[in-house]
Amino acid sequence: MTEIAAKPGGEPILAKLQQFAVPIALVALMAVATAVQPSFLSPNNLQDILTQAAPLALVVLGQAFVILVRGLDLSVASLMASVAVLATAFNATSDAMIPVIFAAAIVVSALVGLINGLLVTKRNVSPFLATLAMMIVLQGVRFYYTQGSPSGSLPEGFRFLGAGQILGLPVNVLAFALCFGVLGWLLHKSSFGRKIYITGGNPAAADLVGIRSDRVIIACYMVSSVMAGIAGLFLVGFVGTVDNWVGRGYELDAIVACVIGGVALTGGRGTLWGAAAGALILVLIFNIVIILGLPVQAQLMIKGLIIIIAAALFARAQKA
Amino acid sequence: MAHIESADGASGPAIRPIRRLPLDPSLIIVVLLLAAVVIAGFTLSDRFGTLRNFTNVLEQAAALGFASLGQALVVIVGGIDLSIGAIVTASTVLMATVVELHPALMIPMIFGTLAFGAFIGFINGYVTIKTGVHPLIVTLGTASILNGAVLIFTLQPTGGVPFWFEEFAYGRIGGVMPISGLVMLLSFALAWGFLRYTPTGRAFYAVGGSPEAARLTGIRSNRITLMAYSASGFFAAMAGAYFVSRTGVGDPRVGDPITLASITPVILGGLILGGGKGNILGVLLGVFLISLLSNLLNYMNVSTFIQWVIQGLIIIFAVSIYVHKGKKL
Repeated sequence: MTEIAAKPGGEPILAKLQQFAVPIALVALMAVATAVQPSFLSPNNLQDILTQAAPLALVVLGQAFVILVRGLDLSVASLMASVAVLATAFNATSDAMIPVIFAAAIVVSALVGLINGLLVTKRNVSPFLATLAMMIVLQGVRFYYTQGSPSGSLPEGFRFLGAGQILGLPVNVLAFALCFGVLGWLLHKSSFGRKIYITGGNPAAADLVGIRSDRVIIACYMVSSVMAGIAGLFLVGFVGTVDNWVGRGYELDAIVACVIGGVALTGGRGTLWGAAAGALILVLIFNIVIILGLPVQAQLMIKGLIIIIAAALFARAQKA
Repeated sequence: MAHIESADGASGPAIRPIRRLPLDPSLIIVVLLLAAVVIAGFTLSDRFGTLRNFTNVLEQAAALGFASLGQALVVIVGGIDLSIGAIVTASTVLMATVVELHPALMIPMIFGTLAFGAFIGFINGYVTIKTGVHPLIVTLGTASILNGAVLIFTLQPTGGVPFWFEEFAYGRIGGVMPISGLVMLLSFALAWGFLRYTPTGRAFYAVGGSPEAARLTGIRSNRITLMAYSASGFFAAMAGAYFVSRTGVGDPRVGDPITLASITPVILGGLILGGGKGNILGVLLGVFLISLLSNLLNYMNVSTFIQWVIQGLIIIFAVSIYVHKGKKL
């Protein structure tokens, strides 16, 4: 990776890094894992890893949209847990209620994203603070509603959504693929996606060429929140129980995944592809730590090292 | 120092905003909010407006005060420190573990722990400068590494310190003034004087305003940045020492809530993420505001959960009432 980064040449180098460094890292990690434990490549194990990765990857897709317009969304994990609590509030027993629960979750999430976006654009609050405050507010409302211990129940179907399979493919991975397809088209093929890159690259210039950058930014925050809401429902299905901290730590992991995948915190650079690969790299690293028999806490140390090294590599490529 | 002093004369425009600070609108916000809390406190509760209560709050506010002071210094130079909580945790574990094995090292370990904190802060600053990576990512990374290391070492509260060390947290001068609170106030006073009256301190604002412009006027921006991060680590370790003094042990989870908590008073005090502006006394008022508010709400039997909502709304209110242009984080 250093070799690529060290070559002179600017823009194309970054593009190359994003195209090749991430896949190379993925293949290398899988090679390491297979070397240590040959059964790593078994269909069962791969299914497990993908099932684990899917909820995080869903959040990462949304986070990438926000980071592309120079933002940051710290409220995603709190929103995931809040949506999970909201889902149990229906006390639904029939699977027919699942679409209703999804609709309610999406509406509430979109509203949260709208408020984040309005604070950032109309009141010029820094994204870090706006979403931090939202995280705390959601946490307070959630705990007040549950009084500390969530009750209520979810329809059986959630278990299928979170951990079930269709024709050997995990359901949540299929949901991810669907979201990835839609959002990827939006970001890389539609005019809206182009507006996102222009706004993130240079907001002032975006306004000058007639892009309503405020609206673009608000839309990105709404995408992030809605993805977090959906991820919260799938994660609750995967974990099987609702508690007040479903998805705890996902906000930082999602940012880490984006950075590893080459989405620049300075905005306007990076691909959805890279972000999703970043999420997979992160989950693979967590798995390898466990395969190697290291203590689980070593995941934290390795995550910390990886994020600094990855960010430094991309920063260097950008400078060149 | 000479080069900085000569630069100071030449860089008048870069540091002039300091003189306008007392009129900073966001300082007015924190004063008004604080006044509102105090008035509400006197009206709504008999127990709030007593000397005994105020000194208790001052004692309990020490940890938040130390952490917020360090955070403020980093924010002024245009950075942010998300590793404060991890440094607090690591400091408590380091101090309590070593002192339990060698009780005679209690006093050297106070300094050792503070040096450890400053060293971690120095690494944060060094990596930020050398790699050009956003401080958010760098400090998140070091926090993750530190937390991982501490949790591999122990999952339970561990270690122990001599009984007399609790004087730092609980001791009272003349039976009234808490030692920890006094040390915290003195730290703020020193930082205030340093930032306002020394060339190096003023350079903090210049670097936060524009590192490049500061460098061109002869300020060694990198040194200032390193100082700010080291100071942040130092004060985080101070908060760690306070927790060890309070509880007598090193706790691998004690720092977790401190990182984000340290940001709130900084923002309430009118400092702007992105750097270059703000009065450190505003941060102290922010610490008082948060501590007194939670004290009052506790007296009124308001649940912690509602307190979170109120805290979040106050952040939104404070930052959105004053529209800042330009740099953002």
